[in-house]
Amino acid sequence: MNELPLHGIRVLDLSWIIAGPTATRFLASMGAEVIKIGSARRPDPSTRGPAFQAYNQSKLYASLNISTPEGLALVKSLIAVSDVMIENFAAGVIERLGLGYDEVRSARPDIIMLASSGTGHSGPHKDYVAYGSLLQHYTGWNSISGYPDREPVTGGLWADPWVGMELAMVTAAALNNRALTGQGQYVDFSMAEALSASIPEPILDYQMNSRVKAPMGNRDDWYAPHGVYHCVGADRWVAIAVTNDAEWVSLCQLIQRSDLAADPMYADAAGRHEHRDHLDAAITAWTIQHEDHEAMQLLQRAGVPSGPSQDILRVFNEPQLREAGYFTELQTSDGELRDLPGLPWRLEGGPGPYLTEAPVLGQHNAYVYQELLGLPETEVDRMIEDQIIY
Amino acid sequence: MPDGLLPGVKVLDVGQGISGPCCAKILAQMGAEVIKVEPPEGDLARQMGPFPGDIPHPEKSGLFLAMNANKQGITLDLSSPGDAEAFRNLAAGADIVIENPPPVSLEGHGLGYESLKNANPGLIFTSITPFGNRGPYKDFKATDLVLYHMSGHAHGMLGPVKDPDSDPPIRAGGHQAELVGGMAAATATLMALYRKRMTGQGSRIDISSFEAMVTQLISGLANSAYGRPAPPRDLAKVEEAAIGGMVGAIGGILPCNDGYVAISPREDAQWERWLQVMGGPTWATDERYATRDARQKNSPALWKLLSDWSVNHSKHEIARMGQEQRVPCFPVNTVQDLLSDEHLADREFFVEIDHPVAGVLRYPGAAYRFSNSHLPLTARPAPLLGQHNREILGSSA
Repeated sequence: MNELPLHGIRVLDLSWIIAGPTATRFLASMGAEVIKIGSARRPDPSTRGPAFQAYNQSKLYASLNISTPEGLALVKSLIAVSDVMIENFAAGVIERLGLGYDEVRSARPDIIMLASSGTGHSGPHKDYVAYGSLLQHYTGWNSISGYPDREPVTGGLWADPWVGMELAMVTAAALNNRALTGQGQYVDFSMAEALSASIPEPILDYQMNSRVKAPMGNRDDWYAPHGVYHCVGADRWVAIAVTNDAEWVSLCQLIQRSDLAADPMYADAAGRHEHRDHLDAAITAWTIQHEDHEAMQLLQRAGVPSGPSQDILRVFNEPQLREAGYFTELQTSDGELRDLPGLPWRLEGGPGPYLTEAPVLGQHNAYVYQELLGLPETEVDRMIEDQIIY
Repeated sequence: MPDGLLPGVKVLDVGQGISGPCCAKILAQMGAEVIKVEPPEGDLARQMGPFPGDIPHPEKSGLFLAMNANKQGITLDLSSPGDAEAFRNLAAGADIVIENPPPVSLEGHGLGYESLKNANPGLIFTSITPFGNRGPYKDFKATDLVLYHMSGHAHGMLGPVKDPDSDPPIRAGGHQAELVGGMAAATATLMALYRKRMTGQGSRIDISSFEAMVTQLISGLANSAYGRPAPPRDLAKVEEAAIGGMVGAIGGILPCNDGYVAISPREDAQWERWLQVMGGPTWATDERYATRDARQKNSPALWKLLSDWSVNHSKHEIARMGQEQRVPCFPVNTVQDLLSDEHLADREFFVEIDHPVAGVLRYPGAAYRFSNSHLPLTARPAPLLGQHNREILGSSA
């Protein structure tokens, strides 16, 4: 009775790199049996580094060369016993491999097939070669980020992880529908549209005001003060966002500038916004005397939204994550014990997420081909020899 | 084709601002029946821009309109016993309740999960807060800005800079952290709904928007777990091109005569084809640019050469020529470009909704199309304040 939500669901994962594997990591951690298929012929590029250990937690990993006829037949046998299939090759690739929706559906009529690509599977630019970092520019997502009057920003790993979570959400919605109707789905997913869908404000602003929204760094259209403020140490900053008048008064008391709180010029957001440079200087005079975490503690005690601007190593060591039980210690494929990430949600009163170390290629060949498909060991050995299970 | 994937699923959206309403918006797009429950003074998002003419108006907030389309709306003062009772009655027949306190905390009104599940054991109660109900920061306040910086994203957003102490890290535009919290909530909620269909079991789900943002960077956390240092923000200390970021040989931005184009000819074969796009420049065989390692090492000089060429062309022209040669490259678009993009038009990505006060606007639609279900993306505009009180609450309204 008290199982993880996706208990009993099997996912055949033909995806690679980041977005697809991120989606199946969520599904696996929530109870689905995820079988990742890969081949030494064309290894998953993310296999090269530690990232693979995070993206592929909790999965099974079988090797299969699907560009061979026998490999193709095997993958169809696996589709026949799966509920979900996911792929994130460039548009058209899965069809050329002989695994378009019609073929997949004939192996398993109620399959949920997720196909994610850069610009989706229809339209004049469906074959455009894409990377997530480029899509952040194509979609307008980066157009509102950065400093005003400078070149567009070039950082930010956003498209793939965001799409990964959205694909997991879409899978869960389709599973609900299948439970209700018995029917499967083909899902045409566009990474580009996922990014454009997440910036409705500038899209509507353009229509309302004939204005192309410019980037504004850490500032906000309405709230002030709103930014990061230098603390003790090189490249150390605390982010502060004042979202109402009460927070403003608390902030002034904390930094011992009751004169600012009493000044009618700064009494409302519009006034503070107009004079934000002056107020930012006054706040910095206080923050520069404090460590960033110490500043956060003092500001939060005063009821002001705030937190340090951190690099990933400091995030890894965050007391909040440590004490909230976000990490799980797992033995990675090199035999070392390491703290690896968990899930951003807790389903209370049930079992915790299923989190195991990432597998290595072929680790679960025996389970997948002998137990699940019922092939004799001699046949599996022959296919390994013939570089089909490879 | 039937409308949506979640026919008959009833959702109460008590959220305000972005994360809670975003979660409910996703469920509405998928075809659930969502009732938005606002306090009499309205959702905070009604005070957040953009507005036509920059003049605040509770029925014209672009943010509110986008987050709440396809929902019905009622107003309830949960501090009054009568309205609290009306809410309790609605919750007794709901599949899902979504909140994102503050300002409205159902627990604070005696309407928390434990109280509601007595009448409705299968209820799924989803609560989104900045840090979840656990850990030393559980009562801390955070906004999109704060979460973007705390979670490590701001550190990588800008790309490496010459002087980190004068160029602080920045957040992305919009409300990305709050949308990630909402998406995480929708994901967990739909998984819990699936379990409910299979077993009848309800759940209380606790979402930390901070953890949701951190989970977007699990590759970086894995690097940390392997003892790797954080990627430097100081340009002088950058040695290798990071995945995701675009530095040197991985790719970057080129100026054009009408904006910028983003290119990433990162594999050797892609680089060779890119050189053809440029018409086979003579410097290509120079040993400083002949290999990916050499290009990375000499990237400032290389980008100067590329920019000298690109500035004579338009961004769409370069993108088209590059893609014809299978080189990953895209124009750096503004939202204006987006609204006239032929590919998005062909896919009918934008959807038109007519709102009685705000008028006709084109909203971004969904990133997904289902072969066997039609999504009700234009079922109704965002509700006016209290628009469906009579219809849903009856004579008590």
